[in-house]
Amino acid sequence: MASELVAMIYQTLVEIWQALKEPNIWIRIGLSAILLLMLIGLSLWQRTNLESKLVWSFLRGFLQVVLFGSFLTVIFGIQKIWMQFLILLFMSAFAAFTNYQSYHYPKVLLIGLLAITASTMFIMSIVIFSGAIFAAIPNLPFKIEGIIPYPPQGEFVIPMGSMVISSAMRMSGIALERAKSDIIKSRGKIEAALALGDSPKNAVKTILKDSYKASLLPTINRVATLGIVSLPGLMSGMIIGGVPPIEAAVYQVVIFLMLLSAAFIASITTNMLFTKQFFTKREQINLVFLNELAQLEQKKAEERKNRQEKRRSWWRRKKQTEENQK
Amino acid sequence: MVAMTLDNENSESIFSVQDVSFKIGSIQILSHITIEINKHKITGIIGPSGSGKSTFLRLLNNLISPTTGKIFFNGQDIAEIPPTLLRKQIGLVQQRPYLFEGTVKENLLYGPKIWGIDYSEDDLLHLLDKVALPHEFLERDIEGLSGGEQQRVSLARSLANEPQVLLLDEPTSSLDVISEEIIESTLKRLSEERQVKVIIVTHSLEQTERLTEQLLFLKGGQLVETAPTEEFFTQYRNDEIRSFFKKKEEN
Repeated sequence: MASELVAMIYQTLVEIWQALKEPNIWIRIGLSAILLLMLIGLSLWQRTNLESKLVWSFLRGFLQVVLFGSFLTVIFGIQKIWMQFLILLFMSAFAAFTNYQSYHYPKVLLIGLLAITASTMFIMSIVIFSGAIFAAIPNLPFKIEGIIPYPPQGEFVIPMGSMVISSAMRMSGIALERAKSDIIKSRGKIEAALALGDSPKNAVKTILKDSYKASLLPTINRVATLGIVSLPGLMSGMIIGGVPPIEAAVYQVVIFLMLLSAAFIASITTNMLFTKQFFTKREQINLVFLNELAQLEQKKAEERKNRQEKRRSWWRRKKQTEENQK
Repeated sequence: MVAMTLDNENSESIFSVQDVSFKIGSIQILSHITIEINKHKITGIIGPSGSGKSTFLRLLNNLISPTTGKIFFNGQDIAEIPPTLLRKQIGLVQQRPYLFEGTVKENLLYGPKIWGIDYSEDDLLHLLDKVALPHEFLERDIEGLSGGEQQRVSLARSLANEPQVLLLDEPTSSLDVISEEIIESTLKRLSEERQVKVIIVTHSLEQTERLTEQLLFLKGGQLVETAPTEEFFTQYRNDEIRSFFKKKEEN
């Protein structure tokens, strides 16, 4: 078993190496780098300070996709449900860690892990087992195969799961950011509600109504323009691959429902767990926690300033040496 | 929920504040305040900006907890009263109105909905009367209201909870003279008829003279003086108070 795996990995690496020797692929990579350069330009122009993050993310993503893409055939072949779930769990953990790197708030790693895992496992269980149940009932009056053929194939479960996970990850991140800024911004309103005898949970609900709207509307709009404006890659790919358009369409709508539900569940879980920290046991605004957040923000600002300072001094030194040479 | 009597007629004072200090991080906002706030009186809190007046009010309805010391409400330690129950009894009108999105009516019903108090249309109109707002305001969206109107809605919203005590943080600072008069007479009537105890933070010395019976003077987080209002105005017992009053008069 182990030797097989080693052989497989070796084989894949050889394939990658051979593919990289083709000049064709480097031309394509170079062409796509034009877009990346444009992105960096835009980022510099708007002073977003995202440049290094952009370059790093794309490099990392590219390497990951080259490495893991080649292993996908192996993963797609997995037929045991528990192993599929194990892989999804690993992916969720990775997603939570990525979120944690962007939002360094207290307990974010745990919150993200819970929110992403819970929503993914819930949605995927429904999809897998409803498919399984339909497929397991003999003599149904109509023919139904479920969304995922039974027994569940890795080639269906893993890509679907990955879409669900990235949707959950994105929404969990947005929920964190929105909850933080909305609560700080609406502190007076929250205290007004508390002063009327409202519970923190309820007071926050009034405030976060808009935050759900903001995070879910883009996806809802994509569903609303489905087929006219948005032609999702999956559906297009299926049609190109010869699947009848109706089947591809049904599949796509189901996927969107899954993504939306996962997004909603992830936002709700994140909000519930994260906003709790903003309040004390005596149902007051937690000043200590607010202080902690403010300090974090300050630290970030200082780091940014330091980075800029470094860049500036590097320029200065460069100019200095140029002048000296003259 | 635990059945609890918040009204303990045996105790003399409505609030008994015992050696209360409040700190945020290393900043001392209030230090060692001890005072009895008597029943059946409108109490005023005055003092220069940054003296901790608003913080003191927020301590009373447990929106913040003292760092050290204890506060008793009707003889009961407020740290042992469920906070939501406590805050229903002790209304707070903040310096800025902080209304919820929606209509005036929705704002007025926010508290009663939590507590299951039934409010008829007439009751709501009556509330508007109390804060000198015309009846047609009930269905108005809060977006279109002026600052003064919003402040009055905020007062009516607190009154809708039928509190025993009303804490007010400079409620009339953004109002015109006529509205100020109406609000003041409402506060007086409330304290006389329904025996709502009012504690009001104010910048206006005229207002303290017209409204209050007892005054607290805070400065730099310390309670400098407390006395019946009349004595404050006739005797000026303390140098710091004298200079504060003088500055106010010059303005």
